[in-house]
Amino acid sequence: MEDPDNSAQKPAATAGSRKSGVLKLPLANRCEPDKQHCPNGESNKNPTKSRSIRQSLWYALYFPQLSELSESQQTQILTELAGLAENVSATVSFHSQALVCEIRSSLRYFGGIDNIHSKLQSLIVPALQTRSLGDSFLYAASPTVSGSLLLARSGHNALVYQKENLRSALGKLSVDVLDLQKEQRRRLHSMGVRKIRDIWRLPTEGLHKRFGSNFVNSLSKAVGKSPEPTRNYIPSPEFSASYDLPYEVENLHYLLPIIDEILIKLRDFLIQRDLSTSRLRLSMIHEKRSRTEIDIGLRQATRHRDHLLLLIETHFAQLTVPAPVVGLKLEVKQFDAFLSDSEALVTEEQIEHGSKINSKNLDQFIEQLHARLGDDALKSINTVAEHCPEYATQQLNYKDKKAEMSVAGVANNPRPFWLLDAPIQLTLKGSKLYHREAIILISGPERIETYWWSGQDILRDYYIARDRNGSRLWVFRERRGKRNWFLHGYFS
Amino acid sequence: MAILRDSVTQPEANIGKAFNDIACNSRGTPRTRVNKLLHSNPNLWRGCDMAGQGFHGVATGYRELDDILPGRGWPRSGLVEVIARHSGMGELQLLIPLMQSVIKQGKWILWVAPPYLLNAPALTQAGIDVDQILIVKQDTPCKDALWSMEKAMQTENCGLVLAWQNWLPGKVLRRLQLAAEAGDTLAILFKRNDSKYSPSSLRLQIKASATGNRDFSRAEVTVIKARGNFRPLSAQFSLYPESLSA
Repeated sequence: MEDPDNSAQKPAATAGSRKSGVLKLPLANRCEPDKQHCPNGESNKNPTKSRSIRQSLWYALYFPQLSELSESQQTQILTELAGLAENVSATVSFHSQALVCEIRSSLRYFGGIDNIHSKLQSLIVPALQTRSLGDSFLYAASPTVSGSLLLARSGHNALVYQKENLRSALGKLSVDVLDLQKEQRRRLHSMGVRKIRDIWRLPTEGLHKRFGSNFVNSLSKAVGKSPEPTRNYIPSPEFSASYDLPYEVENLHYLLPIIDEILIKLRDFLIQRDLSTSRLRLSMIHEKRSRTEIDIGLRQATRHRDHLLLLIETHFAQLTVPAPVVGLKLEVKQFDAFLSDSEALVTEEQIEHGSKINSKNLDQFIEQLHARLGDDALKSINTVAEHCPEYATQQLNYKDKKAEMSVAGVANNPRPFWLLDAPIQLTLKGSKLYHREAIILISGPERIETYWWSGQDILRDYYIARDRNGSRLWVFRERRGKRNWFLHGYFS
Repeated sequence: MAILRDSVTQPEANIGKAFNDIACNSRGTPRTRVNKLLHSNPNLWRGCDMAGQGFHGVATGYRELDDILPGRGWPRSGLVEVIARHSGMGELQLLIPLMQSVIKQGKWILWVAPPYLLNAPALTQAGIDVDQILIVKQDTPCKDALWSMEKAMQTENCGLVLAWQNWLPGKVLRRLQLAAEAGDTLAILFKRNDSKYSPSSLRLQIKASATGNRDFSRAEVTVIKARGNFRPLSAQFSLYPESLSA
């Protein structure tokens, strides 16, 4: 196959000799606004040729089998495939059921489009097979994104190097390859339009009126007459840094300066990309043992080195390693957008009002508590609309707490601050109740009857009582079985 | 400790007049400035405190208790020991007005290893938003509980730290007291027994009122030690609002 660079760029060299240095640079279509800065008048005189200087070659991969999947699955698969397509191209863009990659810049490196195609095929076909999506895809290459897409959709696997040839190549295609609404398709059909070249024979103004400007625009994009903005694939960032220690370390605190070094690297990495992180994993590598891993989760994404170091230090306080450490590895599990600390203009006034106190400080405290005491150590409580006192309080881990909790109604009768984990049975001697000391009932009863539908009915009469020491007690009497008395809480 | 009697402040008026031309500026007379300076330092005890003239405390919500506390209320920061020999003495009810004011400031209340399950409806009834309550779970080891207390006091958003620990050596209490002062936070330590020579800024005992156990609402509070008091003072008052007292 002839190297298209030569054929495409030779005429260009005569068109703008002053910019010949630029010619070798592969410029994507997106760079076209640069053309306006071009000082020589020739580029205006001969627009088609000057564009052909910068023309790129777009390789389209079309996956008709994706149309059966849901949209989210499609995006997921396309993102995965785009990662593979990055092996041959720096610019990969997303389209419906298709990917388009720019390959002119890599033609020389791979030694021709055939090599690129076989490389892509060897990468993408196995990926499709593992997802049982067949073992083939349609492809085409041409100097415009839309042109390549249309050619790929037609299934001809065509290759067009020159923009001048694109019009005739596209013209042969059936109008079915165009992405049209049903009504437009029907209308085209009734006009006797079968091939794309039939459309080009019609007056543009009429087309605008009948099919709208989008339709006309998409056709002129295909032949390279209007710019084609694309949504490009941006690979997700990855951070992983490891450090091999020159000697074995047993005291974890000696690791902190090294971790600090790694954290500086991480901070620089995050600053460069304007990111922050909320989930990290620090692995300590031992000889002949599986590595010790610490997962660090943050409530609020950060890139603050001191804060991360403090958290790791807190983790170390609770940690014992099975063997001396010979290496360290820090990986970022989740990246988040970086939010600056103080963007509000009126923070000071809000603090005066109290309700809008910056919650950052608290979040750091909670992270530290989680790091030292474990994730289930911190609880928050919520009121639940329940008659049964045991179930009227919902205690959940602070981590699982929902942002907005419903406000449930509470009983009108007094409730004690403390509830016992399980009610304690009281002893009845003669007519007097005892729980260490004699108990005197002060008020009640408050009858609570619930859960009759579950078979484990709750039938209780609650009383407020005091014992000889003066403790205020919440006691109840079962209204079934042996009618025993129980202590259930304290009015503290 | 400096003691300023009211008589000492008398000549101020004269001094004020004499210095009017030189020292007086837009910020007020020297007398008000001196007063302001004296009030700004809670470590400075003024003899007039007990006469009800110092107001550097946080009102407790109980008038009778305010009357026997220096500064007419809870200290703004420091360690407070509440001694209740048994549960159910009203030791939490005593703090409800304080908790309400902390919640109103948008700050959090940390409960470190409470002895029983905290009953959310009771807090809601008392007008406390349970969203701003954080609990370190019940069976936390003492060492971790103390660590959490200390960290919480360094956290600006924690307005109040409540803890239940019975046997803490004086050294630990001293450390907590210093942490509370440094963090400008109030920490309440609930204990079963009184320990003498504690470094906390306030130590009080709550017990059932002597007038009889049949009355649900009344309690007797003794201020065993407070910075600024000479001798123990006690007061009897009703802890619960009328609607709740049986």
